[in-house]
Amino acid sequence: MKPPERRARPAAPRWLTRLVSPYYIAALAVIVVFVLWSAGAPTSYFALSLVFASIYITLALAWDFSSGLSGYLNFGLPFFFGLGAFTAGYFAWGGQRYVPFLLFVALGVGAVGGFLFSFPTLRLRGPYFSLLSLLLPLIAVDFVLAFWTQLHMPTEGYYDLPFLAVTPWGELIILSVANAVLLTVFLVLRNSHFGLILRGIRDDEDALSSQGIRTFPYKVLAFTIASGVAGFSGATYALTVTFAGLDTFEFTFILFPILIVILGGTGEIVGSVFAGYIVILLYQYLFQALSEVTLIFFTGAAILLVLFLPGGILRPIRSFVRFMRTPEAP
Amino acid sequence: MSLLEVAGDSRSFGGNRAVDDVSFEMSVEALAIVGPNGAGKTTLLNLVAGLLHPSRGSIRFRGREISRLPPWRVARLGMVKTYQVVRPFRSLTVEENLALFSRLRGGSALDGILDATGLTPYRHHLSGELPFGLLKRLELAKGLSTHPELLLLDEPIGGLSRGEAEGLLATLSALKARGVRMIIVEHRLSEILTVVDRVLALDRGRMIFHGSQSEFFRDPAVRTAYLGSDNA
Repeated sequence: MKPPERRARPAAPRWLTRLVSPYYIAALAVIVVFVLWSAGAPTSYFALSLVFASIYITLALAWDFSSGLSGYLNFGLPFFFGLGAFTAGYFAWGGQRYVPFLLFVALGVGAVGGFLFSFPTLRLRGPYFSLLSLLLPLIAVDFVLAFWTQLHMPTEGYYDLPFLAVTPWGELIILSVANAVLLTVFLVLRNSHFGLILRGIRDDEDALSSQGIRTFPYKVLAFTIASGVAGFSGATYALTVTFAGLDTFEFTFILFPILIVILGGTGEIVGSVFAGYIVILLYQYLFQALSEVTLIFFTGAAILLVLFLPGGILRPIRSFVRFMRTPEAP
Repeated sequence: MSLLEVAGDSRSFGGNRAVDDVSFEMSVEALAIVGPNGAGKTTLLNLVAGLLHPSRGSIRFRGREISRLPPWRVARLGMVKTYQVVRPFRSLTVEENLALFSRLRGGSALDGILDATGLTPYRHHLSGELPFGLLKRLELAKGLSTHPELLLLDEPIGGLSRGEAEGLLATLSALKARGVRMIIVEHRLSEILTVVDRVLALDRGRMIFHGSQSEFFRDPAVRTAYLGSDNA
């Protein structure tokens, strides 16, 4: 008797086959390992350092997705970060202390703010856009200083906000899940036609335009998404330190994400996870020994990194794998 | 109705009139725009592609006025320009370079384009790592991937060796035989004339000739522009 024919297994969707790479799995594994590692001492300095590393990883993922892929350098990330923090503070002081609501509304306000900023400014080409974005956090600080009483703030910011979670370990779990989801979403988008166009914009926007692609809506959408994520990240920060103040507009909230993206590889997305833990943990522990000098050390490290490893830590590995896999052309 | 009608187009840069009152209609499959250096060939092609707007005159594509449209809209109508200095998306593979445009105008079969341009063996290579000859082919393939009705080629064989140029010209001839219409700006006159049906010659921004190849070499204005007044 003839054996029954085996039904062919349906092929996995393309986005899934592109997403599930060894790099992606390794990044998820690193996130899980750090969560489990800190489980033994859920309120330790290590757990708290991982919380801050996770917040910066969220910011780095957002920056890499928009600026890293498109080449439009947005130095205004702290503005959207602070906007999210102040939004969470505003609603918490208004009586809405339900944490998921605060995170969601911060994400929405960040996205709306990103859209309102990028719609007029992304008509400008790269350097002009970057210069304008640089002004945003400065304007925000002046705005808060001038109008904090009208904004019903108890001081130049909002204090006594609800905790993101009861312990740093709980906060780490929330942030790690968020980063895993964001990593997945951004990688799917990077590998999609949308991501392809963003990478094309970085390489040669004029050539893209002259062949029929209107780049403007893609840029605006990318920056709106990234700003929303930055707003979300700002809210997680405010709810971690239970204070939304002017420090959320500080330059460190763009310096570290950029440093993380450079180390992870610009436009790689997944590299930000590895680099985020390296940079922030190193900073947290060096800071105990070197205090304020640490920032000078990091700035020097950034210069050396750009000079000697411009593609980040993942690019050489990717190039080697590609070299080994690519068939010899005639 | 002609596919393309250019009527009285002029374009100045400061005091320099790069294109001066040029008019022609495109109804054949392949037209060459030729002329000495600085004749205004690339400027004219950029005007047609929407990369520049004329100071005066009109451009109609399939009867529609396009002289004020941005380049992406001109391209979506079916007229796409490739560049003299190759402009690949260097961080993307050859296949991704074409996939960028594959959703426009109903899309084109990427496999067919890769085959037609001889790029199939290189489809997974990063375009930034390709040699110049293949980048010229990629430039052509990118243009084809938008499924254009009219392809505007700016010096497609410029900088290529004789052998590479012959290969690319054979590809252009094959594309023409398949119904791809094109305007080709080129310096290498004798080689490009093997592909085109008609010739338009420019000199210092003005059109000095528009006609068949056989008439081209007999035309006194062309001979003067190319050989000088003593030898004309």
